[in-house]
Amino acid sequence: MLPTESIRRVLDTALQNGGDLAEVYLENTERLSLTLDEGRLEQATQGNDIGGGVRVFYDNSAAYAYTDDLGEEALLEAATAAAAAARGANGIRVCADLTKRKSPVIFQVKRPFERMSTQEKAGVLRQMDEVTRRHSPHIVSVQCGYSETRRRVWIYNSEGVWAEDDRSFLEFRGQVTAQKGDVRQSSATGIGGQIGLEFFDDRDPVQMMPEAADTALLMLDARPAPAGEMPVVITNGWGGVLFHEACGHCMEADFVTKGASAYAGLVGEKVGPDFLTAIDDGTIPGRRGTMRFDDEGTPTKRTVLIENGILQEYMWDLTEARRVGRGSTGNGRRQSFRHMPMPRMTNTFIDAGPHDPEEIIRSVKKGLYAKKLGGGQVEIGRGDYVFTVTEGWLIEDGKLTAPVRGATLVGNGPETLRQIDMIGTDPALDPGRGMCGKIQWARVSVGQPTVRAPKLTVGGTE
Amino acid sequence: MDYLKLAKDVVSQAVEWGVEAEAYINVGQNTEINVDRGEVEKLSQAGAKGLGVRVIRDGKGGSARHSGARLGYAYTSDFSANSIRRTIEAAVTLAEVADGDVYRSLPEPQPAPDEELDIYDQALVDLPIERKVEMAKQLERVALGYDKRIVLTNPCMLLSQVGTVAIANSKGIAGSYDKSFIGGFLMAMAADENDRSMAFGFGFGSRLADFAPAEVGEDAARKAVGMLGGKPVPTQRATVVYSPLAATSVLGALSRAVGADALQRNRSFLKDKIGQPVAADMVSVLDNGRLPGGIATRPFDDEGVPTAATRLIDEGVLQTALYDHYTATRDGAASSTGNASRGSHASIPGLDASNFYFQPGLQTPEEVIAGVERGLYVESVMNTASINPISGDYSISAKGYWIENGALSYAVNEVTIALPMQELLQNIKAIGNDLTFVPMMGALGSPTIRVDGVMIGGSG
Repeated sequence: MLPTESIRRVLDTALQNGGDLAEVYLENTERLSLTLDEGRLEQATQGNDIGGGVRVFYDNSAAYAYTDDLGEEALLEAATAAAAAARGANGIRVCADLTKRKSPVIFQVKRPFERMSTQEKAGVLRQMDEVTRRHSPHIVSVQCGYSETRRRVWIYNSEGVWAEDDRSFLEFRGQVTAQKGDVRQSSATGIGGQIGLEFFDDRDPVQMMPEAADTALLMLDARPAPAGEMPVVITNGWGGVLFHEACGHCMEADFVTKGASAYAGLVGEKVGPDFLTAIDDGTIPGRRGTMRFDDEGTPTKRTVLIENGILQEYMWDLTEARRVGRGSTGNGRRQSFRHMPMPRMTNTFIDAGPHDPEEIIRSVKKGLYAKKLGGGQVEIGRGDYVFTVTEGWLIEDGKLTAPVRGATLVGNGPETLRQIDMIGTDPALDPGRGMCGKIQWARVSVGQPTVRAPKLTVGGTE
Repeated sequence: MDYLKLAKDVVSQAVEWGVEAEAYINVGQNTEINVDRGEVEKLSQAGAKGLGVRVIRDGKGGSARHSGARLGYAYTSDFSANSIRRTIEAAVTLAEVADGDVYRSLPEPQPAPDEELDIYDQALVDLPIERKVEMAKQLERVALGYDKRIVLTNPCMLLSQVGTVAIANSKGIAGSYDKSFIGGFLMAMAADENDRSMAFGFGFGSRLADFAPAEVGEDAARKAVGMLGGKPVPTQRATVVYSPLAATSVLGALSRAVGADALQRNRSFLKDKIGQPVAADMVSVLDNGRLPGGIATRPFDDEGVPTAATRLIDEGVLQTALYDHYTATRDGAASSTGNASRGSHASIPGLDASNFYFQPGLQTPEEVIAGVERGLYVESVMNTASINPISGDYSISAKGYWIENGALSYAVNEVTIALPMQELLQNIKAIGNDLTFVPMMGALGSPTIRVDGVMIGGSG
C-alpha cells in the first residue's frame, strides 16, 4: 500500500477546510466464482475491485468521496472533494502520527486458495452434482456454486489509527429442484466461512447436497401449511435468523440514536425471559462476520446485547458513537470502498438456555416446527418481521407428524422475544452462508439453540 | 474518454488469443445524499468504472467434458494497459476450466430502430450539488410537515447517477449510450401515544422533470399516519386489493418464471404452459425495454442486442418467454427479446426483465375498492424475495386497511397473505388504470389489482 507519508498528506488535505476527523479506507478484493448447472461447468468468473475512499466528519455530518485508483494523486483528489463538502466546519486539525494497531483477534488462514487449481475446485462441484442426481429420479435440476473472496483493507484516520485486515471467504452453494407431475419444489443449501483450503479438512460440501435434495423431495408431498396463531418451535443454528431480523436490527445504533428503533431507550429494561442472553461477537475465528478490525479501524469485540433478559448494549459504529460521545463497539461495516460504513451485526446469536431440545418439541400439543428457514425481513421502526420456513413440520401431541410447505412466520420482534418461553441447551451457529442486506450487503453469522414461542402467526394457505 | 473505442481495443486484443470476445464497460458519476432533521447527514460522490471481458473458446481439444463453446469471464475496475491485459488473460484461462455448450456464442449485430428513448437528461448532468441537497431536504421537510405525528424520516435519501455503457464484440457489435437517473426515497415514521408506524415513499425518473420530491415526501407521510394503530384481522380467506407497490410482489416472481432460462432448465411453475391460459382473461403482461423514459429503458441489452417490447401474457394466455442470446439459440425457434442483463461489470450477463408490467385496465383504484364488500387493501408487503418462481409458493407479510362495504376502514398489520401463484393469477378479478412503476429488478409496474380467495393469516 501507499507509504504513511502519502496517507498523511491525504488526511491533511481532507481536513483543509475544517472538520473533526478524517479517514482513509483502501481496499483490494479478489474474487473467483464457479457455477455448475445441468451438469456443466457453465460460468467461471474472476476479477478484482481496487479502490479507496476518504471521509471527513464534521458536526453530525460526514462527507465521502471514493476512487477506483489507489495512486496518491487520485486519493488527494477524493480528499479535496470530501473537504469541499465539509467547508465551513469548525476547527482546522492536522493528522496525528499514524501507529499501526494490533488486533485482539488472532487466527490465520492456513492454506491459501491458490494451492488448489481451479479445475480441482470445479471437480468438487461435479461431485456435488453427481451425488444429487443419483439421489432420486425426481431430481430435475441441480445448480452448484463455489466462490472465494479475499478482501484486504487498510484504514487510517487523523487520530493516528492505522489498521489492516485480510479476510478470506470460501463458500459452496447448492440448489435442487424436484418434480412430480406438475408440482415442483426447490431447496437451497450452503456451507462456508472465513477460512482457507483447510475448510476441506473437516467439512465436505458434497454431503450437504443429498440433504437439500431430501428437503425438496419431502416438500413435493407435503401438505400446505396452516394459517393462524400457534406455538412455533424454531431449530437451532440457522434459526438464529429470527433473532437477527426481529431484534438484532433494532439494536443497531443508527436507528437507536434517532429514536427510530423499537429498542431505543430500553437499556437496563427487561426485554426477554430471565434465561435469555444474546451476543454479537466479531472475534470468533473462522466466522463470516469476524474481523480483526471493523471497516473503520476499530478492533472488534464480544458485545453482550441482552443478559438474563435485560437489554445491555447496542451495536455502534463511529458515526453513531460520536453523535452521543461514546466509543464504537467495532460494528462499523461497509460493502466496499464505494459505500460509507454503517452499524451492522457481525456474528449474532442467542446463548444456551435451560431446556432439553427434545422436551421443547414434546411440550407442544399442536403447532409448527420450523426445521429449515429461508430469508427474512424486518421493519426496524416497529420491529415487525417476516421470514420463510423452507422445511416445516406439524407438531401434534409432542411429535413431528407431517411435513408442511409454504409457511411464513410474521410477528413483532420485541413482542416475540418477550413471549419466548423455552430455550434449548443446544446452541449452534449457522453453516456459514449468511448474507444480510440493509441497503448494503454484509456477510454475517447467526445462531441460537432450539427456541419455543408459544403464539406466532403462521401464514399458510389452509 | 472514448469508451466505445476502448471496448473495441479490448476486443481486438482478446481475439489475438484465438477466442470470440466481448467487452462491456460501465462508467458513471454517482451522488448519494442522506438527510436527517434538516441537515446533510451523509454525502457521497464519486466516479466509478468497470470493465468485464467475456470470451468464448471453441470446444475442440482441451479438457472440455462436453463439446461446444466454453465461456470465461473476468473483470476489473483498473483501466491501465497492464490490468486490461491481465483481465483478458484471466478470462481466456478460465474458459479452459468451463465445459463446452453447443448453444454458447456471442450475438451478431442486428438493425435497431432509430427512436428517441429519452433516458438521458442534460439537465440532470448539470444539476449542481446544492440543488440536490435542497431536493433531499425537501423530501424530508414535506414528510415532517404533513402531520405532527410524523416524528422522523430514516433514511431519507437522494440518489443521482449519470453514466455511459459501451459494448463491443468480435462479431461486430459496437455501441454505446448515455443514461441518467434521479431518485429519492424515504421511510417516514409516525408515532402516537399507542403505536408507531413506518411507510416507504419513493419517486424516480430518467429525467429531472420526472422527479417530484414533494409528492414523495407526502406519500410516505400519509401512509405512515394512516397505518397507526394497525392490528391483525382474524385468519380467513378473503378478497385482497393490492396497491401498485404491493402488486409488484406478484410481478417479481412472475418475471423470473417467464424467463427462458427458468423454463428450459425446469425451474419455473410455468414450464410447458406456453399457449395455455395461466391467468384470468383480463390479465395481460408486457416487458418493454424501449418504454420512453422508463428506468429500465435502453437501446440495446447488456450483450448488445436491441431491446424490444414483448407481450408475455395476452388476455390470460402465456404467449412467449423472455430471451437473451443464449436461451434463444438453445430454443432454436426463438430470437432474443433483448433481455440480457447484468448486475454490474463484475457479472456474466444473465436474463432479466426490463420494464415489466400488468397492462392497466379502465377502473380507477377507488372503483376497484368500491367493488369489494369485505376484504383487505394491501398498502405494502415484506419478504417478496421468498416468493418461489419454481414452485409458485407465495406467502408474504402485508399491512394496509380493512375494506368494509367498498371503503377503507381501520388499519391492519402483522398478517400474511398466501395463495399459490398459479391460483393467484387466475383469481385476478379487477385491474385499475393507475399503472405505477417501482425501481426493482429493472422496473416492475402495476396498477391496483383485486385478487379473490387469498388466505389471510392473522389472529386466532
